[in-house]
Amino acid sequence: MKILVFGQIRDNAIEENVLGILNKLSEVFADSEISLALLANQINNDWVEELGKHGAKKVYTVEASELENYLSYPYVKSMLEIIEKTEPSLVLAAGTVFGEDLIPRLAVHHGISCAQRIVDISLDIDNILFHTPVRDDQAMRVTKLVGAIKFATTRTGAFFINENPSGKSPEVEKVEVTFEAEDMLVKHIEIKKAERTVNLKDAKLIVAGGRGVGGKDNFQILKDLATLLNGEIGATRACTDLHWIEETYEIGQTGQSVSPDIYIAAGISGAPQHLSGVKAKTLISINKDEGAPIFNYSDYGIVGDLHEILPILKKKLE
Amino acid sequence: MKIIVFIDQIVSTQVKLQGVDFFDPSKVDDVDLVINPTSKNAIEGALKLKNTFDAEKEEEEEGAKVTAVCVRGLKPIKALREAIAMGCTDAIEIADDTLYTEDPLLLAKIYVGALEKIGDFDLVFLSAEEQSSSSYAVGAMLAEKLGLPSVLYAEEIENIDGGFRVGHVLEGGRKIVEVPQKALISTSDSQYFTPRYTSMKGILNAKRAVIPTWTATDLGLSANVVGKEAASLQQVSLTNIVIEKESYIITEGEPEEMVDNLLSKLKEDEVKLGA
Ligand SMILES: Cc1cc2nc3c(=O)[nH]c(=O)nc-3n(C[C@H](O)[C@H](O)[C@H](O)COP(=O)(O)OP(=O)(O)OC[C@H]3O[C@@H](n4cnc5c(N)ncnc54)[C@H](O)[C@@H]3O)c2cc1C
Repeated sequence: MKILVFGQIRDNAIEENVLGILNKLSEVFADSEISLALLANQINNDWVEELGKHGAKKVYTVEASELENYLSYPYVKSMLEIIEKTEPSLVLAAGTVFGEDLIPRLAVHHGISCAQRIVDISLDIDNILFHTPVRDDQAMRVTKLVGAIKFATTRTGAFFINENPSGKSPEVEKVEVTFEAEDMLVKHIEIKKAERTVNLKDAKLIVAGGRGVGGKDNFQILKDLATLLNGEIGATRACTDLHWIEETYEIGQTGQSVSPDIYIAAGISGAPQHLSGVKAKTLISINKDEGAPIFNYSDYGIVGDLHEILPILKKKLE
Repeated sequence: MKIIVFIDQIVSTQVKLQGVDFFDPSKVDDVDLVINPTSKNAIEGALKLKNTFDAEKEEEEEGAKVTAVCVRGLKPIKALREAIAMGCTDAIEIADDTLYTEDPLLLAKIYVGALEKIGDFDLVFLSAEEQSSSSYAVGAMLAEKLGLPSVLYAEEIENIDGGFRVGHVLEGGRKIVEVPQKALISTSDSQYFTPRYTSMKGILNAKRAVIPTWTATDLGLSANVVGKEAASLQQVSLTNIVIEKESYIITEGEPEEMVDNLLSKLKEDEVKLGA
């Protein structure tokens, strides 16, 4: 079987989730031929080598100035060319913002639907099965796709990366694609990169706040608690978007990934995009809504107002 | 200016339906059917643009129109009345037992059918919904089918000459793009899209509104195109996820009691807070 993976580039390197996909594929489809698609203004050979190490047999490259930044049309066009060349049975991309834009469009061009945010992939007698958690991860929906070519995105953070990859240099094939003015209807202006001044990766304890914190000043109690417990603070994108806290503290798919022993979530609803960045040994949550999804993931929790609970908690711990 | 906003109705997350039961319509009460909160973000995006347009237009010019369209949900009409109460100008219900909306490609086809019947439009707004299997893909699929420039997961929109400058969610920050005026925008739940409340005037409009119901036939679509039999994404199984670990959630007591309860349980389980 032939499988094609979108080799997304992020910060001048292969997106980590792509490496996770390669690891997963090597487990599930041992005899398959895995190819990667690399699209960029200029292909860096390190990317190619990295992909080979992680199991890519072949890398298709498209180099063009139009591909310097992700934009739907030029990326779709390039991928369609590569798909036509390789005739894969399965096309995968990490479920990043770009991957989620790309895969459904490619599927449309092949007149087929797609599976989304899968956390597992398996083989039935003659079907590929896609596993997607739904209803706040309380139920698992398994789907199959009917058609000669299948498309899917993976949930970010779902697959482990092989720490000791031993693959060889892949074969490289250049693909030429020409672009027209109408491919560039959407204009890339800029990427406002969030400043990452504090690294939360090694934090053993994190006190994280969400929209329920209710304001910039209210973050003080979280900071005090974090200091008291020798930990760091964290936040959801909702809070960084509101400028209640510096962007560096954003945790999740689009923020930092953390793996503390203890994660205290205050006023956080538990969106999958937030929780995909949290791998904590113990999750303690405080939320005034008993039905908040966060409780499904929590080891301990208090249903209550964080403005009441946190000060008491701090006092008792002092 | 004519804006179309596609919304969904869902079972309120306040309802304690666990796992698989959540997807069983017979277990759902009408009162628990609400506009998907993320759809409210999309409505807000459309209304903000309407407000800006209306403030700047020439006196004799017609005001911008926002039409809410709902396909997904057990009682779309209810969601649509609320959309009008928020400020949408009118609404269209699409209801037909043959329509299968759990496949994003079919949903995109239904949306295309609706837009063709509507005719003229400038902008399309929609959002993503966590619970359905169609959610994330439908925006991109629809944009691709319509050949419309698009932005997914918008966080802010600025009017510029001949179009919009839109910031959207991106891993590691935010990306800014420019799209022409005729475009598709899917919204996130950023501050910019915080939904407004319904207004008195809106509620009155909603009561009076005549909301047409379009069927598959009205859209020129048949079951072999948009029915379950046409789905290329097929559900094999839906099962509850059994979580091994037990969680200890304290739901009752005065705040101080709850904290004491938590701390003693943590101690019992030898979970240490801090160094
Ligand atoms: C592509 C994409 C990527 C994203 N990436 C990320 C990411 O990396 N990280 C991230 O965090 N988000 C991300 N998001 C946003 C994410 O979808 C959610 O919108 C966000 O995580 C919600 O943040 P929240 O839990 O703080 O807010 P809400 O969902 O609004 O929840 C607030 C919670 O606080 C509770 N609350 C309110 N008042 C109180 C009180 N006084 N006491 C106790 N509880 C209270 C409420 O009951 C509610 O549960 C992303 C979104 C998209 C579309």
